[in-house]
Amino acid sequence: AVAAKMAALGGGGTGWLRAWLPALQLLRRGSKAVTRHWKAMHFQRQKLLAVTEYLPPRPAAPPRCLPRPATSGHEEDGYARVLRRQVEETLRSSRMVAVCQYNSMPDEDVVTLRHYLRKHNIHVKFVLNEVVRPVLAQSKYRNLLPLFVCRNILLVSPETRAREMLRVLKGVPQVNLLGACIDDTILSRQGVENFAQLPSLEVSQGQTVAALSLLPSQTSSLLQRGPTHLTALLDEHIRRLRGTGGATEPPPG
Amino acid sequence: PTGPGGVAVPRAGLKKLALPPDYSGITIPEKPKLKFMDKVPAVPKVRREPRGLRDIRGPSEVATDFTQGQYGILALGGGYLHWGHFEMIRLTIGRSIDPKSMFAVWRVPAPYKSVTRKSLGHRMGGGKGPIDHYVTAVKSGRLVVEVGGRCEFGEVRPFLARVAQKLPFPAIPVSRESLQEMRREEEEKRLNNQNPWTFERVVASNMLGMRKYLSPYDLRLKGRYWGKFFLQHRV
Repeated sequence: AVAAKMAALGGGGTGWLRAWLPALQLLRRGSKAVTRHWKAMHFQRQKLLAVTEYLPPRPAAPPRCLPRPATSGHEEDGYARVLRRQVEETLRSSRMVAVCQYNSMPDEDVVTLRHYLRKHNIHVKFVLNEVVRPVLAQSKYRNLLPLFVCRNILLVSPETRAREMLRVLKGVPQVNLLGACIDDTILSRQGVENFAQLPSLEVSQGQTVAALSLLPSQTSSLLQRGPTHLTALLDEHIRRLRGTGGATEPPPG
Repeated sequence: PTGPGGVAVPRAGLKKLALPPDYSGITIPEKPKLKFMDKVPAVPKVRREPRGLRDIRGPSEVATDFTQGQYGILALGGGYLHWGHFEMIRLTIGRSIDPKSMFAVWRVPAPYKSVTRKSLGHRMGGGKGPIDHYVTAVKSGRLVVEVGGRCEFGEVRPFLARVAQKLPFPAIPVSRESLQEMRREEEEKRLNNQNPWTFERVVASNMLGMRKYLSPYDLRLKGRYWGKFFLQHRV
């Protein structure tokens, strides 16, 4: 509208043929440009706005059909790192590691259990699976991974006293032994029970020594067997001679 | 969730302790509450001024970015703020912030533009009416107030939203990050628009003689503004 009027003004320099009040003509169409209400748009303008609307990009495969991108590595938690180091320390320094399932126990019972196990130098450790699993996966205890599924505790000890441990655990129904790793040998529950029935190390050492030294101890008696047999025979002979009369002199020798 | 052997795997893991927010670089000014704005400027206007609604139209050039605070109210449309609005904003924000740890700052001037009103019930004519009150013009994209201090957006957003709802134009509470995000999204929309026909292209080259039906201001406003309204959905 404006452009047409401007063109008309420019073109007709001599032609004020009609009484033309540009102010009224320009404002012929209703209200001002800025109104409090939503001013009705010219239909052409509405069409233009409809044509020039935003069209979002449409990828050939919609993103929900594609595999979900794996969540980027979560940032390392300092606390988790500390816990992991502690677990590595305990695994390295202990000879016996027993994994038990832990169901909730009253606190005083937990304290009592700890006390009894501490008497036998067994330490009770509560571990979180998400902390322990990476540690185990990298160390030699890889086959213990399936045990760390639910809530569990570790009983670690620098000495292997399975019998006392089993006795204590028998009195606590909430803690169930799942498996153990004693002296780099993985044992199941049955294995631990069998291990407990074995005599202790000192006793078995003594038995081995005794078994080994059995033959050497018989060497002296073996060597002496010939002369002793001869001595016995001669004594018998003398007795018989003495018994029959005693007149004949015993033979020299 | 079940793990191997049908055993239930507990979902609760190690607690991830988040660090508390760092407010080291924030100083709270001496007068943390909003200044009182006069109804009438110190030197009242003698000459009655024309309505001049072009101070409502289009995007704002002033006060579009944050200066002191971290959160604020962004105007998404044009309008006039009068003394009643100022008082409402001042009192609501003054009630909701803690002056020891938070502060608020005006980003609009006190009412300066005179508005005349003829007395009710009279016919047209008889000259321009006397000055009734003063207003401040606000264009879309301008910040009205800024709030800052040792606080999070979640704490500030509720009362800013309540204030924003009562303003005569549409407004939203924003933070520095959310404003940046909004601008980035707008830019992204503009760049990945699949429609080859854009308003500014049509207007600039006067395709199909469209400028007969559009205003010369549409060259600048590019179809995003209509009167005092801001069309946010348009690219």
